[in-house]
Amino acid sequence: MTKKRTGVFVCHCGTNIAATVDVAKVAREMSGEDTVAFTKEYVYMCSEPGQESVVQAIKDNKLDSIVVTCCSPNLHEKTFRDNAKRAGINNFTCEIANIREQCSWVHSDKAKGTEKAIKISRSVVRRVNRNQSLDTIAVSVTRRAMVIGGGVAGIQAALDIANAGVEVVLVEKQATIGGRMLQLSETFPTLDCSQCVLSPKMVEVKRHPKVKLMTYSEVQEVTGSVGNFRVKILKKPTFVDPDKCKLCDDCTAVCPVVVPNEYEINLTTRRAIYIPYAQSIPASYTLDESTCLGLNPVVCGKCKDVCEAEAINYDMRPETVTEDVGAIVVATGFDLYDQANMQELGGGKIEDVLDGLQFERLCSASGATQGHILRPSDHKEPKNVVFIQCVGSRDPAKHCAYCSKICCMYTAKHAQLYKHHVPDGRAYVFYIDIRSGGKGYEEFVQRTMEDNDTLYLRGRVSKLYRHDGKVRVLGTDTLSGQNVEIDADMVVLALAMVPSKGTTEIAKVLKIGRDKDGFLAEAHPKLRPVESVTGGIYLAGAAQAPKDIPETVAQAGAAAAKVIALLSQATLSRSPLIAKVRRSHCTGCGMCVDACPFIAIRLENGKAVVNEALCEGCGSCAATCLRAAIDVKNVTQLQIYEMIEACLTV
Amino acid sequence: MINIQDIRDTARDMLAKGEVRAVIGYRRGSRGMLAEPAFITDPEQANELVWDPTCFHNLSLYLVHDRKFLAHIRKNPNAPVAIVAKGCDARSIVVLLQEHYFKREDVYIIGVSCEGTGVVDERKLAPHLNGFQASNAAFDGDDFVFTTAEGEKRLPAREVMADRCLECRIPFPKEHNAVFGEDKTGRQLEAPFAALTRFEAQEAGARWDFWSHHFDRCIRCFACRSVCPMCYCDECVVDSITFPVTHETTAEEKANRIRWIERSATRSENITYLMTRAMHLAGRCTDCSECERACPVNIPLRLLNNKMEREAREQFGFEPGASIGGQSLVASFLDKDPGDFIR
Amino acid sequence: MSEQQVYEPRIVAFLCKWCSSAGSDLAGVSRIQYPPNATPITVPCTGAISPMYIMSAFNKGADGVLVSGCHIGDCHYIEGNFLARRKMKLIMELIEFIGVEPNRFRMSWVSAAEGAKFAQVITDFVDDLKPLGPQDKLKKAELT
Repeated sequence: MTKKRTGVFVCHCGTNIAATVDVAKVAREMSGEDTVAFTKEYVYMCSEPGQESVVQAIKDNKLDSIVVTCCSPNLHEKTFRDNAKRAGINNFTCEIANIREQCSWVHSDKAKGTEKAIKISRSVVRRVNRNQSLDTIAVSVTRRAMVIGGGVAGIQAALDIANAGVEVVLVEKQATIGGRMLQLSETFPTLDCSQCVLSPKMVEVKRHPKVKLMTYSEVQEVTGSVGNFRVKILKKPTFVDPDKCKLCDDCTAVCPVVVPNEYEINLTTRRAIYIPYAQSIPASYTLDESTCLGLNPVVCGKCKDVCEAEAINYDMRPETVTEDVGAIVVATGFDLYDQANMQELGGGKIEDVLDGLQFERLCSASGATQGHILRPSDHKEPKNVVFIQCVGSRDPAKHCAYCSKICCMYTAKHAQLYKHHVPDGRAYVFYIDIRSGGKGYEEFVQRTMEDNDTLYLRGRVSKLYRHDGKVRVLGTDTLSGQNVEIDADMVVLALAMVPSKGTTEIAKVLKIGRDKDGFLAEAHPKLRPVESVTGGIYLAGAAQAPKDIPETVAQAGAAAAKVIALLSQATLSRSPLIAKVRRSHCTGCGMCVDACPFIAIRLENGKAVVNEALCEGCGSCAATCLRAAIDVKNVTQLQIYEMIEACLTV
Repeated sequence: MINIQDIRDTARDMLAKGEVRAVIGYRRGSRGMLAEPAFITDPEQANELVWDPTCFHNLSLYLVHDRKFLAHIRKNPNAPVAIVAKGCDARSIVVLLQEHYFKREDVYIIGVSCEGTGVVDERKLAPHLNGFQASNAAFDGDDFVFTTAEGEKRLPAREVMADRCLECRIPFPKEHNAVFGEDKTGRQLEAPFAALTRFEAQEAGARWDFWSHHFDRCIRCFACRSVCPMCYCDECVVDSITFPVTHETTAEEKANRIRWIERSATRSENITYLMTRAMHLAGRCTDCSECERACPVNIPLRLLNNKMEREAREQFGFEPGASIGGQSLVASFLDKDPGDFIR
Repeated sequence: MSEQQVYEPRIVAFLCKWCSSAGSDLAGVSRIQYPPNATPITVPCTGAISPMYIMSAFNKGADGVLVSGCHIGDCHYIEGNFLARRKMKLIMELIEFIGVEPNRFRMSWVSAAEGAKFAQVITDFVDDLKPLGPQDKLKKAELT
């Protein structure tokens, strides 16, 4: 084997690296490595001249491999591998030594930081010494997509993908699509009717020949990888045939079961057989198995008896459906932070303290009170309403550290809606500060304050409690320095947005990362905001971070564009860093077969054989094999061994 | 009580009918009372087979040798091999079957139950014989009877039995084609892992003193590896001189062997060798203790393997060699595996 | 200065590239300072970490070895960390059994979002290793 000719390129990253790492010393030390034929340091290796100098150096010095010691490989591994290719060498002979995130940014002692940077760089130089030239593996692409979550984000993404001619499966957990937006009454800053905007899109989803809609269904298992996912979906039985259901409502009239209506955020009740909203898509009733008396004509059977269309079928059973898709958009939305966490604000136990969504349902013409704002306890029109912003948000000590972004705007909207419904009422808003960035947003808030006569009080509310049929609000107006005491008829809390329960669940199923707050993590905060860390899985809407409707729709469109771009390719290239068997060492014991999570290894004539289409290169086989008879290419045990040695060389 | 004539008859019949091509069993050896492994192919030799308290060898090692030999001469077996197997040996065979080392139909297991006594530990026996060599050993109820120049010497089995037999939980060969002796499972004389528990009661410092003393003494003769039926790898990952070169070996492979440890028999290298062995035997070792018996410098290797066996059993509910279809310890997991040690 | 005062434990940190390595990136982006004693080796998954790596690192003179991966249920490869949990438990028990300080080996779950936790894990490990002094039980004699 001829000796490698490795080039080492040490980046200063301005002063990001150079301030705490002696970059010249790193370069000098690396030039002492046996296989290093060239070293260079430069202020910004990722800049155009920096990249050009890498290409030139490879050509001029006949380098066959390079190590770039710079920032995390997540940022520039691709950049420099592309440069390696451009210079005529194999891109898999380029590796990144991360001396910024994992070194210069976290250590202030320059001598020690430099020493660690040298160890990191040296270990990567040794690794590269054993790197093979590899070609990516071409795999065919399943030209179908899946969108998980049927809120406005999922609807938009599904329609955009379908309109490009790509078949899309839209999976929604609830009995109807529409999500949170369908619960809203009006939207800021135009006060147009939320359902009127959304309904046509919902109908389009239903009618689109390229959209396969699966409501009341949950994604259970996802296998495969970018280009070729296999998704198992549990289709829960609705016990009502949507094609036969005439929406006559006879069944709910006879159903004896009364339960809180989750679609109305428990402001009203529903029956065990119900339709979420008048605008529901699919337009059909659903029989809730968990509350029904038992799907048994002997026990009850009233709905079945009364249904003239014979749409009700108690024999429906859960069904598991498998769909093959090439890309997935996750749009699983948000929940509100649980009121029970806010003990000082009543902990959800005071009847006339509502959350924002409940207030939306009160305002909505199709809601609990047919659009009349009446307080829940006595159905009287509230004359004093206190709106409290930042409930649970921006409170790193006790609740969520982040800003939920939309509360300033929807509270202003709520105040306006209230004043429109109850012109002689008084609206108060407690706020920390007003964040109204967005087209027409600031003007909207100003209108709330000036034209709608809403009193904005800057300060937090310290306590809420029942007092004499009203809710006493104790707070502070920090601008006047006065304590404020208001006896309100109703209080509306702008609770923080948190990732929905479904978001948490789907992250586990898809194995995609979540950020510190539990929202789905994007691959890069700036450059890849709609991609998850896993190839082929994209993010849209509030599952990724709190955002308003225009932003959600924009992100859904961006995710759809990514999906379309991905699926427009004839083949995809898969990483060639997959397992390889050393046949001479394999005894066919089958431990790797058992350890492989992807069923990618089988025994053939007493030897392990890797299925290259299924192997993901996780290395479980390599760590399990007692004989070192299987290794992941370019992450071999020999390479790790030599890296360990390099890490411990003084 | 096992009548040896039954085993002999079985062996003779099968050899005579050509149902097996050989019987691996024990016969009277050339060193005093000790039995030695016997490889019988002629039905007439079946009468040489013995069954006594010195049948401590784990004969499944020779199934491994047999397969290696067949592979070397590139021949497929024309008939199975019969093997006399105690409880622990039979479990070794099950592990080999789990690892597809040979097929179930290639082996005919003549199980022998240890009936709650087990086999002798020579080191424990020596002080009882007053310096005389025994010429014969026999089971007799709960006793072992030894014949020396002084006459017959009767000793309670538990006084001279191997530690592993005292603690044996499964003296009966569950996997077998034919079996002799009664299933006396549950008659163990000491609690499982009793010796290990006694050792572990020591402070960390004392444990290190103990082990560093023994690790210093290892001469890396690899007797433990040679005698172990589980150490069937052609190349030992921690011993690069065993590197196999076949027609499939590439130049790159030859150049890229990993020297996890140096060949010098120093403490650090011995530790890495012996710890690697313990890790590689975890979930595979069936506590036959042949390694400890073979060790020329008396390193208590059984403790290391026992430690792994107990962790596997207590932490992961894993029993080595329990069933042929079972997965191996390190290639499987349970959701409830302990994780409280992880920060 | 006496030798004890300048003793800085040398740690080899095997990090899963999907979580703990990304978590250490986040610690970097957030500029959370922690001791420079641990040199990271990024691997595809904790499930890819052979027990040989741990023993080899000690053999080559590591004072401490860290294995850090994804929380249970979050493995990018579905079950690699389950396999790792079992293997690492065994090696940890074995190390302790022969009388080596169990604090020299550590395993942690650090997700990509847990930059602060990563820094804390390293800080704690270094703090725990310092009183133990240099690791010379498993280290090659010629390295001392």
